Amino acid sequence: MAALACQPSAWRHGYDLAAETGLKSGTLYPILIRLADRQLVEACWEEGQPAGRPRRHLYRLTADGLAAAKSALAVAAGVPAKAMRPTPQRVAAPRPLAGEGS
Amino acid sequence: MERAPVVLLRMAARMLPPARRQWAEALKAEAGQVPAGRTRVHWLAGGLWLVAREGSMARKATYWLGIGAVAAAAAWTVWLSWRAVSAADGEITTDRVRILVGLVALIVLPWAGRKRGWFGPVGSGAAARAFRVAGCAAVCGLGVALIRIDSHAGNNGIGYGGFNWMREVGGLTLFGAVLAMPPVLKARWPQLEASTLWSLAGLAGVVVWAIMPVQLLTIGYFAAILAATSRRSPVTGTSLVAGTVTGLASGLIIFGLAAISGDIGLTVVYPVVASIFALAIPAGIATAWRLGETDNSKDGRETRIRQGLLAGTVSGAVCSLLLTYVFIGFGLMMVFGPMIGLVGGAVGGALAADHPRKSPREGSRAAGLFIIARNGQT
Repeated sequence: MAALACQPSAWRHGYDLAAETGLKSGTLYPILIRLADRQLVEACWEEGQPAGRPRRHLYRLTADGLAAAKSALAVAAGVPAKAMRPTPQRVAAPRPLAGEGS
Repeated sequence: MERAPVVLLRMAARMLPPARRQWAEALKAEAGQVPAGRTRVHWLAGGLWLVAREGSMARKATYWLGIGAVAAAAAWTVWLSWRAVSAADGEITTDRVRILVGLVALIVLPWAGRKRGWFGPVGSGAAARAFRVAGCAAVCGLGVALIRIDSHAGNNGIGYGGFNWMREVGGLTLFGAVLAMPPVLKARWPQLEASTLWSLAGLAGVVVWAIMPVQLLTIGYFAAILAATSRRSPVTGTSLVAGTVTGLASGLIIFGLAAISGDIGLTVVYPVVASIFALAIPAGIATAWRLGETDNSKDGRETRIRQGLLAGTVSGAVCSLLLTYVFIGFGLMMVFGPMIGLVGGAVGGALAADHPRKSPREGSRAAGLFIIARNGQT
């Protein structure tokens, strides 16, 4: 979540996250699934067909996910969670789950 | 080297529920970006692990192994009925026909009920799957025990003498009528309350079961086990677990009492009734309490009592089945045991209905986020 919270408005892909966190695919994807089930992460398929490679599944934190991530990071750093609570303006509005459930 | 895991992952992804399938596809789509060689193979192996986890493959494999064991037990029962019982036994035809009918019921009931879901498919929880496999295996085991007893009893064993088509068909018709009773009543009188419906069916069931021989009773147990563990069953996993644990405990207490008194005959019938009733109460309490305060309305209270009642019924049935293994005279308890348990479970459910478990806090979720965030920071 820390990796996703660094650039909350940017869409990230699985290998990118795995490389940054050092998590293996068998560990990373179940975490992403759980976070998506709790609507802390939104997911969609890349738009258009890129040349030479299949479309990627992209992820980013929802507003709730960003709040939860900041809260958890604050707890980890020993800072009271209230001080880290994000203002609504700073949180990017979630986009519709284009590829979700398809 | 990378081709095989890609193909495997593509095939394995089909075993996932539709909502999860896209995650395996997402992982596969990423594989092209992973450096070729061992790293990519590890990435794809992670995908197979993901499918195994999300598809509950270990649980499904265990369940199907269990189904295989039940099929083997059923086949063994049929084999024994042909090989172990002397042809001179006057009841042999009766036994064989009833065993074959039981086998047909075991195959046909889940198939016939699959569309409406009365007897299948099995519920998604581990408790439902374990109970279905263990219950069916136990009933098959009872069939083996009955044949063994009969093979040593000559013409004085279980049953009513020679084979009689009219009696067998009549017993099965009565049994079918009890099974068909709830849907027929519901179709004829849609305004009928569910509790009235099941009370009427239960009453008819007791009358029919009491006059049915124990071999046909086992078919009723097959039907009850399949119905209780089907996906649309009202019996929760907690009710199944609490009922099974207390039912086994009740049976062991009765064996203990019988060992002390040196008798396991019908003379211990009062302690049996008392034990089933007494142990069904904690089953009802535990189940009603575990349901928690999800709904504090009158409906919530009724739901807790109903689940307590179901847990008690399971408890009585498990204990009675255990007792019938040891002493065939307790076969009648296979009818009355669940009823006694039902009363005990209802008492337990009513006791705990006003004291449900407090809703758990979301501590586990916060802990999970904490761990994830900490890993991300390091």
